Amino acid sequence: MEASITLKKVGKLVGDKTILASLTFGVERGSLVAVIGDNEAGKSMLLKVISGIEYQEFGHVFINGLDSQKRRLEVMSSIGFVPHEIDLDPWLTLEQNVRFMGMMYGVDTETANTRMVQLARELHIIPYLKRMVQDISPGIVKKGMILRALVHDPDILIMDDPTAFMDAESYRHTWDLLLRLRGDKTILYVSQSLTEVEAAHDRILVLEDGRIALDGSLDKLLGSTFEFHQFQIEFEELPDKLFEQLSKLPKVKNPSRIGNSIHFYGRERNVFFEVLNAATSAIMKDISVKKLGLQDLMDAKFAKDGIH
Amino acid sequence: MTTISFMVLLPLLLHIAITMVMKNILVRSLDQVPYEIWVFPGIVLLIASVSTFSMIYRDMFDLRIHRKSFIPITLAPYGKTQLILGFLVTSIIEALVYVVVAMSVLTVLLPEPLHWSAYFIIPLFTFLYTFMLGNLVITFSVLTDRISTYLSIMISVFLFILFGTGVLVEFEFYPKTIGVLLSSFPLSMILSDLRGILFFNRVDWNQIFIPIVVAIGWTWFNGYLLKRKLKQ
Repeated sequence: MEASITLKKVGKLVGDKTILASLTFGVERGSLVAVIGDNEAGKSMLLKVISGIEYQEFGHVFINGLDSQKRRLEVMSSIGFVPHEIDLDPWLTLEQNVRFMGMMYGVDTETANTRMVQLARELHIIPYLKRMVQDISPGIVKKGMILRALVHDPDILIMDDPTAFMDAESYRHTWDLLLRLRGDKTILYVSQSLTEVEAAHDRILVLEDGRIALDGSLDKLLGSTFEFHQFQIEFEELPDKLFEQLSKLPKVKNPSRIGNSIHFYGRERNVFFEVLNAATSAIMKDISVKKLGLQDLMDAKFAKDGIH
Repeated sequence: MTTISFMVLLPLLLHIAITMVMKNILVRSLDQVPYEIWVFPGIVLLIASVSTFSMIYRDMFDLRIHRKSFIPITLAPYGKTQLILGFLVTSIIEALVYVVVAMSVLTVLLPEPLHWSAYFIIPLFTFLYTFMLGNLVITFSVLTDRISTYLSIMISVFLFILFGTGVLVEFEFYPKTIGVLLSSFPLSMILSDLRGILFFNRVDWNQIFIPIVVAIGWTWFNGYLLKRKLKQ
């Protein structure tokens, strides 16, 4: 498929610190891509560079095949950006904010109004359109920001934490809209909520220190955990000797202890039975087995060190 | 309602605080124009200055430093110089509204009315004056990141306009070198030429041409500054 966004060796420095380090990747047209990573991983800066808020020091960003620095004015019309922090003008109504931005992008009043009403209906914010932004709760304002970013009908929607400040209902309305737009628009977003990312993505980029540590669908990324499972056994009492004995079993990976519980990872479920056999002398209170998810993948042990 | 009250009260306040006091000291200008008449265009441009300071603060500085809608504005498909021009046009339009209201209020207080043409000429010069002053304010709005610094600079600029551009007294009252220096500032040129046209039917085209060229160049420079500041 055709690339909507292409980065070639993009590097970004802030002072003497490298925020983005020679990033090269493409985003297919119409796909929904989530960017995750630790704090300071460079997620927000990546969005800023792609959306043209800040230029990269090195490399090139291409939007629909156009160099975003050399053809900025043409490129800008193709992008809608929703920052993390609330940035609507508090002294205007939600509607005025949206219409103003429509005007800035040369959208005629009638078209802007039609789009605004349609999107506002989908986001369930019609009653708030005439209210001053300063009088509206942040979750609703965030939906207004998505509305503002879409008023000029961009091909690419870039969002930094799109559902920040939202309650469950707003979250659902927002994702109903975004999932409807998927396919028609390329959507790139950053989220701190891994549950959100697990539920909504075609592809996940995991950033680490300005580099792409992992890239692919959730299934592909979890494949890199080699079918590991997380096990937990809580004993009535866990003597040090028993913990050491269990930790030394060959298939037990990364054992750790919290109180009278032992946590460990294992590639096959039968490791669990080996541990149970070895621990028959002690009284057990609770046991659990969990397949690894995105949260575990993001855990430092996996994202950085892997399971040894 | 607050804005309209302010627009009416500001010229009244300046008339009471400046004109009513100074006319007892200076009585007439060196060219024998009654002080109340002579100071009229200066007071009007002073009001345009107040309007320009507040408009550019509202539209540019405040939105930028408080991360409101400024970044989305800069992402719209316009060059930075075009954006600067947009801010200038907005401030010019609002300054003209302030000036029209101020002229209406102050005219009532004048001992004799000005020629009708003055009411067309003053707005024209307000346009040029705000174009120039707006650029100055925009430069500081781009370069400054703290409200305290911004306010200090703006108050200093206002004091300079009040005492250094011939609003209150003629440059002939200053030491000669200082007077020559101050009169060569583009803002002073605009006011000086405005008075020349209003009171003596004398036009110095250089004093119109130079501010226009400076203001156009400054607009382009502000566009460059904004681009650098935003790293866009």
